[in-house]
Amino acid sequence: MIKFGKGNLATPKQMRPVYIVAAGMSDFKKHYPEKKTEELAVEAFRMLALENGLKVDGIQELKRHIHTCFYGHFADHFGDQLLGESVIHDRLGLDPMGNCGVKTGGATGGSTIWMAANAIASGYSDCALAMGWERMDEVDTWTGNHYIATAADKDYETELGHIYTGYYALMAQRYWKTFGKSSPKFRRTMSKISVKNHGYACSNPFAQAPARITVEDVEKSPIVADPLRFYDACLMSVGVAAVLLCDEETAYKLSAHPIRLWIGAGSHTLRTADRRIMDIPLLPNEENNKDVLKLYAGLKGGKNKERYPGFTGFLAARMAAYYAYHMTGIVDPCEELDLVELHDAFTISDIQTYEDIGLRPYSMGPDYIESGDAYLKVPEDGTFPKSLAGKKGRLPSNLSGGLIGNMHAVGATGIMQVGELLWQLQGKWAHFHARPEMWERFGKKKPKDFVNLQVPNAKRGLAISHAGVGSHVTCTILMNPKSVIKK
Amino acid sequence: MAKHSYEYNNMNPTATVLRRLDPMVIEKPRNPIHIHTYGGETPFFRGLTEGRLMATKCVNKKCDPSGKAGYYHLPPRVYCPDCLEKMTWEDITDLARKTARIHTHITVANPGAFNRVPVPCEIISVEIDGVATVIMSYLRGAKPEIGMPIEPVFETANPTYTILDLSWVPRR
Repeated sequence: MIKFGKGNLATPKQMRPVYIVAAGMSDFKKHYPEKKTEELAVEAFRMLALENGLKVDGIQELKRHIHTCFYGHFADHFGDQLLGESVIHDRLGLDPMGNCGVKTGGATGGSTIWMAANAIASGYSDCALAMGWERMDEVDTWTGNHYIATAADKDYETELGHIYTGYYALMAQRYWKTFGKSSPKFRRTMSKISVKNHGYACSNPFAQAPARITVEDVEKSPIVADPLRFYDACLMSVGVAAVLLCDEETAYKLSAHPIRLWIGAGSHTLRTADRRIMDIPLLPNEENNKDVLKLYAGLKGGKNKERYPGFTGFLAARMAAYYAYHMTGIVDPCEELDLVELHDAFTISDIQTYEDIGLRPYSMGPDYIESGDAYLKVPEDGTFPKSLAGKKGRLPSNLSGGLIGNMHAVGATGIMQVGELLWQLQGKWAHFHARPEMWERFGKKKPKDFVNLQVPNAKRGLAISHAGVGSHVTCTILMNPKSVIKK
Repeated sequence: MAKHSYEYNNMNPTATVLRRLDPMVIEKPRNPIHIHTYGGETPFFRGLTEGRLMATKCVNKKCDPSGKAGYYHLPPRVYCPDCLEKMTWEDITDLARKTARIHTHITVANPGAFNRVPVPCEIISVEIDGVATVIMSYLRGAKPEIGMPIEPVFETANPTYTILDLSWVPRR
């Protein structure tokens, strides 16, 4: 559909407020033969129940509140187990409560929260669990790449290389040549994202790929699919993440610091082939902005005949942000939000997302990095001008390390992001990341160069959960109840 | 075609192999075959084996925008994505020969398991005048560039009966 009616663009309603009160996760690893997925799920649930300061006397009292469960798990064929949801549900001992599996590719975690939030907002449930996981270590990388490629159209795409990265890379190549002009400067911006996210992962005890690397390391790493190199790409992980959502009464009964939650979802054609030229749907900060409108008119009618939002933008992300901003009253995300967790599947798709969700207008995404906005503290390593180095950025991004530095255990990813936002907004980031015992339980030692990444006085955050070439995207917004914008 | 079309699986039980003792890790091999139909999209795949590029078009004048615009969809669709009326099939081989060009491209050096595209795989997205969509395919015998004029090649001699029967070369 490329022409919309009022019904399509209606602002989503919550019939009552939705709160998030707790999060839990396993650590994330590429191979995890020591534990079955069920064990990791129980460990994540135990953290959720016992370590979030909930006002309950143990796990069993918490379980007596839970009314429905939503389980995000994308790739049945990786785990070789249909109805894996039922296995996990049984191990958590939550039968006979209703449960439902959710799968929307890379956006599975976000979609799982979407379903749980709707159960609360509608009044169906007062307390709902959203848990997600993935196990991708049962097959070798080449079989794994084939399995992932079956998420493309099997008749028209999968046969073409059996490699999903390639299908996304078609978009990356178009963006790189059109807006990046294939320039070293643009390449450097991509590299800075990888350096940032691997660097933030160094202060995350859950993370799979902490690394202190330089832009030169990124640019010397092997090419995966030009212009994407090894360090431009996200991880493949085993792991679990969970969050607990409640209505207002239950939220305050269980928690001293519940956080409000809203979520919107969008989609676009599975095949990039089918992305027809259309008008760009405008976000609140673009609607009346003459400069942006002029820029967009030029992009669309330019001599490149750019296929907006076709190959260079993610329409699904734009729609998810459109719904979420209208639900919450956000006009300028860079001003009104304090931090974001974005779906950095690749450095270049991260840049595309800045534009889709209005952190910058289309074609100007790199400025979000180069302005220093994306950093808690702008690096002082000489890659930024002296006037910016050491300053606090306006809207730090992926302090967890994101998909590049922390994890991409597909069904868990969108839930991990929202869990990290929750802890930031509750001021509990240090509780889950800074204590030496958090590192020791995962067999690690807290590093000497550990950095405190708690965003001071964080009130509002946003997470983007995104599938592949953009078939599904959710946009979750969390706010401290005292900092809600739209009453 | 197989004589007994539904006897397609290797039904031998697969042997398990011990990989590691603690934690106990085993190998579980298997070798299933899927029987898959192209259904109403058969004219497209049959067309490739006969040297023709078949696309679909919505002829419902009330349909906005597919019917009104009268453009082609490729990959083809049995039903119009806008009005859900049945689409009409047309041969666009000549149109593709005259106007096809590369919209974007990627070189895949390390494809996934089961790949049959010549390596390195030059995967391309193809723009054709009058076609609203940009089909994914692959280029033979040249380094792709955005905007490069190309023409279709059909694997009619030894068809694979898949999308691989369509590929492209620089326009002569």
